[in-house]
Amino acid sequence: MAAEKAEMDALKKECDGLRAQIEAARKAVNDGSMSASAGGVEAVGRVQLKLRKNLKGHLAKIYAMHWSADSRQMVSASQDGKLLIWDTFTGNKLTAVPLKSAWVMSVAFAPSGNLVASGGLDNICTVYNIKAASPKTLRELDAHTGYLSCSRFLSDSEIITASGDTTCCLWDLETGKQKVVFTNHIGDCMSLALSPDENSFISGACDSLAKLWDIRSGTCKQTFSGHTSDINAIAFFPSGNAIITGSDDCSCKMYDLRADQEVIGYQDTSLNAGVTSVALSNSGRLIFAGYDDFNCHIWDSLKGEKVGVLSGHDNRVSCTGVPADGMGVCTGSWDSFLKLWN
Amino acid sequence: MSSKTHNANSILLARRTVLQLRTEASRERMKVSKASADLMNYCTEHAMADPLLVGFPTSDNPFKDKKPCTIL
Repeated sequence: MAAEKAEMDALKKECDGLRAQIEAARKAVNDGSMSASAGGVEAVGRVQLKLRKNLKGHLAKIYAMHWSADSRQMVSASQDGKLLIWDTFTGNKLTAVPLKSAWVMSVAFAPSGNLVASGGLDNICTVYNIKAASPKTLRELDAHTGYLSCSRFLSDSEIITASGDTTCCLWDLETGKQKVVFTNHIGDCMSLALSPDENSFISGACDSLAKLWDIRSGTCKQTFSGHTSDINAIAFFPSGNAIITGSDDCSCKMYDLRADQEVIGYQDTSLNAGVTSVALSNSGRLIFAGYDDFNCHIWDSLKGEKVGVLSGHDNRVSCTGVPADGMGVCTGSWDSFLKLWN
Repeated sequence: MSSKTHNANSILLARRTVLQLRTEASRERMKVSKASADLMNYCTEHAMADPLLVGFPTSDNPFKDKKPCTIL
């Protein structure tokens, strides 16, 4: 008993020492803020995007959406128990995928366009082949012990999932088995995003931390703190050197991976609603953040200023996405509609 | 859970935390001023390729309605 206590005390002392060391190292390189550096950059002015399409079809709250790599098709998930695949150029629904469990929280489009994945309170990530005559279940990835909050395909044979069981997981779709389990969060994982080079991914969780993971080794490379509540949304800056998070604490933050710290925050005293989703424009200059206040607010990522708003939904904006060609923004809401803006 | 198992679990968790913190502490860090400058340069270099930022001709808008509306 005494030996155990001695070890615990030594470990705790080392933890405290290492944490102080990390904070000191971060402070040592903190020689100026992003907003100071961005003083010389031209302002973007007021960003006024118009509503181009209002996509009606779902009968209940929309929880998630994801663009196809072709920047034309898009998949949305609603607790009406359906996934809908849309042709956003015409507004037509191409395919409806009925779900075994209506309690869906996440949806993803494979880069090939052949597969979509969804999951939620059933704890299962179900992968569908949507190129078949009618959508066919390809795999049911069943090993998480908590809800499925997010998933992203690396290819038609690998997918990464984030779960309320506090872990993320890399799956082999040929075998349906877990390849790597990413363990380190101490709260429900809410969101994940793949790095542009696909060697790593980031996760945001209810422990208010964002973590960067090496996909192949399974190790957590970096941890970012600062938020004071659940992180609901996370995205990579297009260069891959920074990440953006959105939180229930009503703010978004940009963390630079090489400086290993927050470089700018996006908050406004008039905004008292949690952030549900984030997406960036192609240059990384504009951040589209969906909030519980029914709006999607637009931020200048370099100056930290609010530069616009997408208003029109009658309920919480639950998901936001910009397609690969950067031609527009899609917002999905609990009001059951998806809107396309540019 | 017996207090013995609880202690054993706590020690395992503490050991893992120490290993994780050692990994995180050992990394090199870039100066914030340089990191910020790099991000700014990226935005500037790619601004013209960002349709939402710089706009584009109406004729190129993939989401625009192509036929007139009819009120039914």
